[in-house]
Amino acid sequence: MDDQPVMEFRNVVKVYPLPSGDVTALDGVSFRVARGEFISIMGPSGSGKSTLLNLMGCLDTPTSGDIFISGTRTGDMSDIELTNLRRDRIGFIFQYFNLFPLLNIIENVTFPMMLKSQKEVDPEKGREVLRSVQLEDNLFTHTPTEVSGGQQQRVSIARALINNPDILLCDEPTGNLDSKTGDGIMELMTDLNRKGTTIIMVTHDSHIAEYSRRTIRIADGRIVT
Amino acid sequence: MLGIVIGVVAIASMGILGNSLVLSVSDSLHTVGDSVIVSPYAGGGSGFGQGGGGVRSTSLKITDQQFQQIQRAVAPNIAIPVLQTSDIMKLGVGSDTIVAPIYGLNPDDVSKILNLKAGSYSRSDSGCLVGSKFADDHNVKVGSRISIGTDGDKGTLRVTGIIEERGISFDISTDSAIVVTQNWFDNTYNRSDYDTVVVKVNQGVDSAVVKTTIEKQMNKRDKVVSVMDSKATLATIFSAFGAITTFVSAIGGISMIVAGVSIFNIMMMSVTERIKEIGIMRSIGTQKREILSMFMYEAAILGIVGSIIGAVLSILAGYAVSALLLNTTKYLFVWSSAIPVIEGACFGIVISLACGIYPAWRAANLNPIDALRHE
Repeated sequence: MDDQPVMEFRNVVKVYPLPSGDVTALDGVSFRVARGEFISIMGPSGSGKSTLLNLMGCLDTPTSGDIFISGTRTGDMSDIELTNLRRDRIGFIFQYFNLFPLLNIIENVTFPMMLKSQKEVDPEKGREVLRSVQLEDNLFTHTPTEVSGGQQQRVSIARALINNPDILLCDEPTGNLDSKTGDGIMELMTDLNRKGTTIIMVTHDSHIAEYSRRTIRIADGRIVT
Repeated sequence: MLGIVIGVVAIASMGILGNSLVLSVSDSLHTVGDSVIVSPYAGGGSGFGQGGGGVRSTSLKITDQQFQQIQRAVAPNIAIPVLQTSDIMKLGVGSDTIVAPIYGLNPDDVSKILNLKAGSYSRSDSGCLVGSKFADDHNVKVGSRISIGTDGDKGTLRVTGIIEERGISFDISTDSAIVVTQNWFDNTYNRSDYDTVVVKVNQGVDSAVVKTTIEKQMNKRDKVVSVMDSKATLATIFSAFGAITTFVSAIGGISMIVAGVSIFNIMMMSVTERIKEIGIMRSIGTQKREILSMFMYEAAILGIVGSIIGAVLSILAGYAVSALLLNTTKYLFVWSSAIPVIEGACFGIVISLACGIYPAWRAANLNPIDALRHE
């Protein structure tokens, strides 16, 4: 792994101003994620996990502090630059898969490629990535509703990988799957990590967290371990 | 989309109908170029003025002296005196008697005001010209004989020519009439004063100026004559038609605005139903402007498809209405009838785009985090 962290938080604070009073979701969070790490973030409900995930994914901006993605400070970026960052450097994997129901699997997977190239893309790259997540070829032209939950999550992983991101951000990736299917997904992600993909996973399931190599525990907006 | 279709049909078909009416009236109204019609003034006035200004005629005719004044005033434009009456006629042995208008014109003036579709102009007092409708209705040909008066007591005339159809004219309406020589008219009806004077305005001369000249010359003291500028009258008629067409098209435009409101509602519903999808798109790297474009394209497609369907239906509606009301569809296939269709279609597209702007903006500016949480 090279020295520059793929992600770094420096004393990040996030406050939500509400009519009933400001809520501090994150209170001076600092940590680093090295390239090739597999990290899980755990904490009780209301600890700030979702806020942390949104900031890591550049879907939100901190009230104070700095966030670096592959050495680039995100604080001064415009919405366009942040969106491009999400498109090119971050892959999202959601608990409920969040695939487009009217597109078939190949189209879902190649959608981020089309955003990047702004033109029609060669579906062959999509097929390659789908095969790498162990999805059968005969399912490629199906729509998401025509495949199982585990298969949908594999498609979601493929979509997240299509633009060769620096980081995979996973929000409860097995939360909507049975345990056996969930284990299958985690084995896939372990395999991806072994090949060099950096994975940051938010979970409340300690069994799933065991697949990662490091766990960051958060409580009341602060990192405790 | 149905609202756009209906709106386009309303605007375009009203425009087509209005345009067809104008063209139909244009064809019917025959001005023979620019004409100024001088008639005896029928109302008001006081005294019997003499000299300088107009000489009032008490018999609602234009005297020869007045005609000469008019002729001098409008020179070098040509002034044509017209005698007019109507009488009983019979068109051959055993035929029914009819009543038709009779115009008396100087043979030198006839060719300046009337064109023939058959036969030749008559200089003889025993000859006459007949209008095209007169000839068709009564099966009159060149060479036919017409007896004038009860039992033909006013003489028999031979048809030497048939006048081209003129439609409704401001000067003289000859389609259902016969035209005789001024001399025959004078001798038969013992009249020499004129019913009207038609001034043929030369090319390049403003007919309004001629009208003013006549009025100044003839109506100095009392109003003796009424002067009508056919060009100005036609312009007034067409202006009225234009205003009516605009008004009914505006009513169609109101229905288009209602359609726009419905498109706005549909687009807002579409945004609401796709909040989660928008959140996913934003999270994986879709720019705000791309989301905006996506929804604007949807609005544009609604507008374009609706406008095309509306344009086609409006042409069909225009065809049906023209056939029913005007008994002809020839005015449908002219460029001026295409303009309201194009305008209606363009308006439909503009309304769709305008009403899609806010929903598209709203979609593009959704908070991705809130959108992802939306159920």
